[in-house]
Amino acid sequence: MIKIDHLSKSFGNLEVLKDITVEIKAGEVISIIGPSGTGKSTFLRCINLLDRPSGGSIRIDGVDILDPKADVPKVRQKMNMVFQSFNLFSHLSVMDNLTLGPIKLLGMSKEDAGSKAVDLLKLVGLAEKAESYPDELSGGQKQRVAIARCMAMDPKIILFDEPTSALDPTMVSEVLSVIRRLAKAGMTMAIVTHEMDFARDVSNRVLYMDDGIIYEEGTPEQIFVHPQKEKTKTFINRVRSFTYHIASPDYDLYAMNAEIETFCDKQILAVKQRYNLLLIVEEMLQIYNPFLSKALLDINLAYSEKKESLEVVFESTGEAMNVLDKNLLSDELGLTLIQSVTESIDYQRLNNKNRVTLILKKQ
Amino acid sequence: MNKEWKMKKRVVPLLSFFLFVIAFAGCRKNELFITSFADAKFAKIGVMTGTTGETIANAKFPDAQIKSFDDIMDAVAAIKSGQLDAIVTTSVTALQVSKKNPELVCLNERLKDEDTSIAVKKEDEQLFAAVDRIVGELKANGTLADMNRRWFKKEMTPYEEKQIALPSRGQILKIGVTATREPINFVDKNGRVIGFDGELARIIGARLHRPIEFHNMKFMALIPALQSGKVDLIISGMTATEERKKKVNFTQSYFLNAQVMLVNKPGVAGKKEATEISSAADLKDRRIGVSLGSVHDAYAIKTYPKATILHYKTPSDIVLANMFVLKKNIALNKEVRVSKKTGEIPSFFAGIANSMQSNIVQENRYLLILEGLKTTVIISVLSTFFGTVLGAIVCFMRMSKNAILNVLAKTYISILRGTPVLVFLMLIFYVVFASVNIDPVIVSVIAFGMNFAAYVAEIYRSGIESIDKGQSEAGIAMGFTRVNTFIFIVLPQTVQRILPVYKGEFISLVKMTSIVGYIAVQDLTKASDIIRSRTFDAFFPLIMVAVLYYLISWFLMLFMEYAERLANPKLNRKPITNA
Repeated sequence: MIKIDHLSKSFGNLEVLKDITVEIKAGEVISIIGPSGTGKSTFLRCINLLDRPSGGSIRIDGVDILDPKADVPKVRQKMNMVFQSFNLFSHLSVMDNLTLGPIKLLGMSKEDAGSKAVDLLKLVGLAEKAESYPDELSGGQKQRVAIARCMAMDPKIILFDEPTSALDPTMVSEVLSVIRRLAKAGMTMAIVTHEMDFARDVSNRVLYMDDGIIYEEGTPEQIFVHPQKEKTKTFINRVRSFTYHIASPDYDLYAMNAEIETFCDKQILAVKQRYNLLLIVEEMLQIYNPFLSKALLDINLAYSEKKESLEVVFESTGEAMNVLDKNLLSDELGLTLIQSVTESIDYQRLNNKNRVTLILKKQ
Repeated sequence: MNKEWKMKKRVVPLLSFFLFVIAFAGCRKNELFITSFADAKFAKIGVMTGTTGETIANAKFPDAQIKSFDDIMDAVAAIKSGQLDAIVTTSVTALQVSKKNPELVCLNERLKDEDTSIAVKKEDEQLFAAVDRIVGELKANGTLADMNRRWFKKEMTPYEEKQIALPSRGQILKIGVTATREPINFVDKNGRVIGFDGELARIIGARLHRPIEFHNMKFMALIPALQSGKVDLIISGMTATEERKKKVNFTQSYFLNAQVMLVNKPGVAGKKEATEISSAADLKDRRIGVSLGSVHDAYAIKTYPKATILHYKTPSDIVLANMFVLKKNIALNKEVRVSKKTGEIPSFFAGIANSMQSNIVQENRYLLILEGLKTTVIISVLSTFFGTVLGAIVCFMRMSKNAILNVLAKTYISILRGTPVLVFLMLIFYVVFASVNIDPVIVSVIAFGMNFAAYVAEIYRSGIESIDKGQSEAGIAMGFTRVNTFIFIVLPQTVQRILPVYKGEFISLVKMTSIVGYIAVQDLTKASDIIRSRTFDAFFPLIMVAVLYYLISWFLMLFMEYAERLANPKLNRKPITNA
């Protein structure tokens, strides 16, 4: 139904969308996921020309909508949009919000539009709010009205731009269930979302976007269970990481410890695990100490929320050698301490760097 | 709660103290007392803006505080309230003022004798020659002397106006006049400009076989009006000074006027101690104001044979004759106990009744007020409509992405907001429409409308920008065109939001129109000026006009509130009952 080829979009010098080619078929529910700032919303806004693409083509049922002769407002009627910030018309009652488009744009009679609106409000569970004004509704109710308002235009596809991001966590589910219901009814939808579980069970296809391109795409199973590419994996496993650079033996130990503690706070790590982490870092730095004058050392902490695993990677420049090699250590006390709190220790020589990866024991 | 009340208790006496101080300061009568020019050296002297009196006073009394007034009645009000010690004006005007205000007298010394002439535009040589010839003939055949006798009389007998038949067809002769100076020129009960100048203008019109039309405007606006061709002649007691001669031509003089000084009469409004009346006995050689034929009249004559009893024919005149006279009347009532019940209050009401009589009823002056009221409302409403539409256009330009339109709109807004409305109004009238014969009411509508537009354009813009962009996006995403999104979604909300500010701007426009008198439009304020110029009552017409302005604003505000309700459906909604 919608065929997008080599779509690109720049704001000034900033290239937000680089080269996107995708096809959306009738009846499909497509989730678009990815880190913030990777152009997911821009992509959606380019589809209905709220933002005009810088290059590429968008064909809807074979008609190029980027053609200057195309009747853009007419095209938009077929693909309505649900916004993150609801954007209800605040001077109109819920009923008028739903009937304004059908009456003015589709030429429906007031009665027809009204009765249709009532049906839609029933569908989203808000029939009793017909005479209310937007500012009298909760966030979840507003978003459900916004969805009903989209439906009132009989669109062929609905574009959802982070429909639950502005909502209180308690109201997310009421909106998601409405969207689920539409999906079951066979509505074609493209949903930009951060609700992974929802994306996984509502969609037929998942697009993982990163850095202005569709980085990986596939069925929910492929993307969520067996992601193939590095960035996808990090994202799916909800990995948060933190890197500290040490360039000389006179590094600021206290500042480093404070930053590590801040990272632990953010990830809500248990006190015990935090203690173990600090212990590992301290012992490792003891071991690294003789080499710090000659080598650069990066300490990378990575925590996967999904797997609940904490990983510490020490990466140093210099000639190939494993600092934890028993033959090189003056005593084994440090190593023993480290081993007692880790699940695994691994050494690799990678890109001319020595890499020691330690995974902490789970509690 | 308790604390608040305590605070209030402390604030109340403090406030009353301030009020007292202010009232006291305001009531303080001046104590300077002038009998000759020498006394006036450091006096506060009132002059008329743009008259020779102003120039002379400045030259002759360099150390005095010279204050300029637009109209004689303003200066009279000021001297009566003690803000002035003296007024420099023409002898004819001074005669009239002292006729109506017995406590004001002219000094016998004359500041300067001067020629009063008719001014004609420099280029208009043919008209100049004709008018000059007519003035010469009138002087020779004694007509002017006769007019002098009939208009400039010392006693209060009615004027004897001669009827002059004027042609009804022909090229209209436009006469510039400041008709607030009885008896030189003033507006009678039918709204006609009469007086010495009025009659002279008619005689000239008749001799030239041209119908005449008076343009009644501020004195300082006369010469610009003549130069820009808004009027053909100025016949307004104007002195032919050297400076004016550079700009316009003057005919030979039609009467000899003199600049004189008007001061408080000794023993009346001079030193306080001297006028204080502590008992009935003090009244014996004072001036006592009474209504002709009243009980007070008979009593006063009997009791105080030595006192000057001033008889007033109409109740209005007794009020005009200033508070002092009234107060003495009160003193008479109180001390002598002619009437046990009369105190300040009945006199107060009597005063109001008298003022009503002289300012509203007499000479059908209410018609003047109604006419002025109509003009004020017409100008206000039309300029609001014009300004609203123009403001929308300016706002559109201001918000446009086109750089040229944008700069144009910005310039327009900054110029209009940075210029005083009065200056702008006069610029439009005397410069822009100088050579066009256009109704000054239309000029007012254009000037105020343009001014209003500059302000509301910015109000619109802030209103439109305050509507969150998401709603327009939702409209566009739904399939509305940009224009329709604006009409159906942005505009209704903008109207809702800007109405409160718009209302305020509208009301200030209504009040701003009070300056149209400068371009010879007879609005409410001008009507009150005309009445004050006849009655010399400072208090009543001003209060009356203030009340009328308030009522206009209030009515128009009611209408606006109705509009606000229409714009905001939420205000009209029936309360939802939760079943």
